[in-house]
Amino acid sequence: MTIAQTDTDRSPGQFQRLMLRLAKGAWLIVLVYVALYAVYAIQQPKALTSYSIAALVNNTAPLALAAAGQAIIVLSRGFDLSVAGVISICNVTLAVYPLEGPGGAAVSVLICLGIGIVVGAVNGYLVAFLRLQSIAATLATMIICQGIALVILKAPGGYVAEWITYEMTDRLFKLIPVSGLVLGAIILIWMVMKRSSFGISLYAIGADETSAALSGINTVRVRFMAHVVAGCAYGLAGFMLSAQTATGNPTSGTPFLLLSFAAVALGGTSLSGGRGGVFASIVGAATLTLLQKVLFSSGVSSFYTGVFQGLVLILAVVFSAQLARLGEGK
Amino acid sequence: MFDDPLGAGGEPPGGRQFLLQAKRLRKTYGATVALENADINLSSGSVHALLGENGAGKSTLVRILAGAVTPDSGEMLLDGRPYAPRSLMDARSRQVATAFQELSLVPNLTVAQNLLLPRLPKGRGGIVSARETLQRGEEILARHGLQRIDPAAEISNLPLADRQRIEITRALENAGQLLILDEPTASLAETDWLFERIDLEIRKGVSVLYISHRLAEVREICSEATVLRNGSSIASVDLSDASDSDIFEMMVGRKAGHARLSRRTAPDQGGNARLTVQGLGGHGLHDIGFSLQPGEVLGLAALEGQGQQALFHMLAGLLHPVEGRIEIDGKPVKLSSPRNALRTGSGIAFLPEERKTEGILSGLSAATNIVLPVMSKVSSASLISGRREKAVAQAAADKVEMAPRYLNFSIGELSGGNQQKALIARTLATGAKTLLLFDPSRGVDVGTKQSIYTAIRAFADEGGAVLFYSSELPELVQLADRCLVLYSGRVFSTFERDDLSEQRLVAAMLGHAKPEIAERSPA
Repeated sequence: MTIAQTDTDRSPGQFQRLMLRLAKGAWLIVLVYVALYAVYAIQQPKALTSYSIAALVNNTAPLALAAAGQAIIVLSRGFDLSVAGVISICNVTLAVYPLEGPGGAAVSVLICLGIGIVVGAVNGYLVAFLRLQSIAATLATMIICQGIALVILKAPGGYVAEWITYEMTDRLFKLIPVSGLVLGAIILIWMVMKRSSFGISLYAIGADETSAALSGINTVRVRFMAHVVAGCAYGLAGFMLSAQTATGNPTSGTPFLLLSFAAVALGGTSLSGGRGGVFASIVGAATLTLLQKVLFSSGVSSFYTGVFQGLVLILAVVFSAQLARLGEGK
Repeated sequence: MFDDPLGAGGEPPGGRQFLLQAKRLRKTYGATVALENADINLSSGSVHALLGENGAGKSTLVRILAGAVTPDSGEMLLDGRPYAPRSLMDARSRQVATAFQELSLVPNLTVAQNLLLPRLPKGRGGIVSARETLQRGEEILARHGLQRIDPAAEISNLPLADRQRIEITRALENAGQLLILDEPTASLAETDWLFERIDLEIRKGVSVLYISHRLAEVREICSEATVLRNGSSIASVDLSDASDSDIFEMMVGRKAGHARLSRRTAPDQGGNARLTVQGLGGHGLHDIGFSLQPGEVLGLAALEGQGQQALFHMLAGLLHPVEGRIEIDGKPVKLSSPRNALRTGSGIAFLPEERKTEGILSGLSAATNIVLPVMSKVSSASLISGRREKAVAQAAADKVEMAPRYLNFSIGELSGGNQQKALIARTLATGAKTLLLFDPSRGVDVGTKQSIYTAIRAFADEGGAVLFYSSELPELVQLADRCLVLYSGRVFSTFERDDLSEQRLVAAMLGHAKPEIAERSPA
């Protein structure tokens, strides 16, 4: 039997390609952020001064870092609830054991990263080696972490080292916010990581774990590493949060649990894995924070903040799904 | 009649070496014995077929050889040295590579990345070099005659057939000793490219283990075969000595009667057609028109990507036609969803193309999978009655000759053939009078095929109407009362049963030969 193979032309058109790029990349959320910032600037002419930009970036950094870690787990088709626990432990640790000076700050960062690595390794062990469902495993570690945070500090109080609270929220040359540099560094690390074998494996596992394994990817190791890397990001988030609040609170991590998922989804990362990225999730976190500011400066009662954040999230997800549909020509 | 050379373990005739010897392989999953006592001996530089019915243990054996599964007991020798791969990469380090039936490509990565996984070329600082990945991917594609495929294309954007070619290409690249091809032609309409590749591998001294349900294909490319039945090796035969019926007998343990499907009386021409389509267009289709009478089995032949998916999806309510009309029982209808299609007039039930992703719900039992569309029939006050579920599922399963004991199994644990039977039973259980079957016998063995054909025929004889697409020409010729040929989104020609032959179909499917010309030209 000889049947010639006819090639089917499936190459998408220019318009479809544009829509796909918008839907898949971080462009959409960046556009949303810029538009929202324009609204903010119109409301608050001071918004463009380096002082208020720094204040905004400072507010953004903890959620952005939490979202960065969460995005890594979500990309590999998992959920990580331990984010709340790690941030709480880091916060109370820094408030109970303040270490002064730049050396103390360096040790503090290492402590936070260490906490993140330990919790991440436990998560990774449970999820990758014992094959527990990530949502169940990390729910357990979150509850344990919150318990530990309460043991370290029973009620809000304590103070974070002054050097940290002052320097980490300051501006370099009175222009560049230090927290912005931290975020920039994380984005750079992600851009490298995304092009590493680890990064490509992460996307592969998220899309189809069986195929990834049959393609020779060590799925257990990649999943384990993903949790450790995410733990580091949560540790940094806890550090930046402490620098900003300057005090300790055993439940300080709790708001980050749901907001980190919201930021990831807002950035267009698929919660079923394999699509999206860390950068878009960071911009998603920034958008949520900026939205808070815009609502505040418009005089909307802060009770409504959640309502608006939820609405924006729905709109963004619907809109990006529509773009993807246009892009696929359906 | 056939000497059993298994267990003898000696040298193969002709003084050639065995490349791979596997003895007494056994693998169980809980209480299920997937492989009981499998032996296989592959001589160097040959193409060896692995034959067996669904559930005979072929997939398990493939997975063991590929390193994806470790056997409970048994031993293997590769090239004279013990071979016990604990992972796919382990097997690859011994130059054994596998193209899996279920395709093991990562959908959101590019062709080039998939071809090179897990070792992507690194540039400075451990970063994967995108440029070199593309270049190496392009080289691999060129080496295997697939220049037309873009190495930068995402796998999920490729047609199924090209995905299968990429899966095979990756195995070719990594197989220095043994190449395992599990149903490599399941999605390919032609075998030229594949057979050419296999020939080249043989000339390089690579042995090939070839698993296929298509016996004609096996005969064309393979010299010897091992037959598995119920998890054990039954025989190892030289294919030139064994007739088809000998092989069927070894596979199923009885002489498979070549039951010619009894031709029915002519379809009921009076009264309304079950389904009429006029001027249907959009989604790559143009001006499609045909009608389907009660009692008729209408075949659809086409090369890949001629619009057959779009046509079925439109008739099933999954896609909306841009132009033209669809009539059910003579009344124009607008189908908004498969559920709506089921409930319109005498109803349309659809068997989708991709069993795994569009068909089965793997966590549920086979019985639940069957009764899914008719849950109201088996429930009272919205609570499902287990007894009635069983009864309804049983009735449908009987029609496709599916053994009752499988009904309680989780459908994901059943073999591909039984999954397909369950899905066809599902379409029958809906009570719809028109069935749309997309490649109903894809990737199933001979025995299952006959059961499916019988069920389709019986359904039509009771006044049902069937439209089926098939990638296998013998199936169209055997089963169809009438056959449409789709080419470039148009109905290119129509054959009545008596005019139907494989040669004519091929000519029409290629689109550049009018059937009359094809008829006169000496074949």
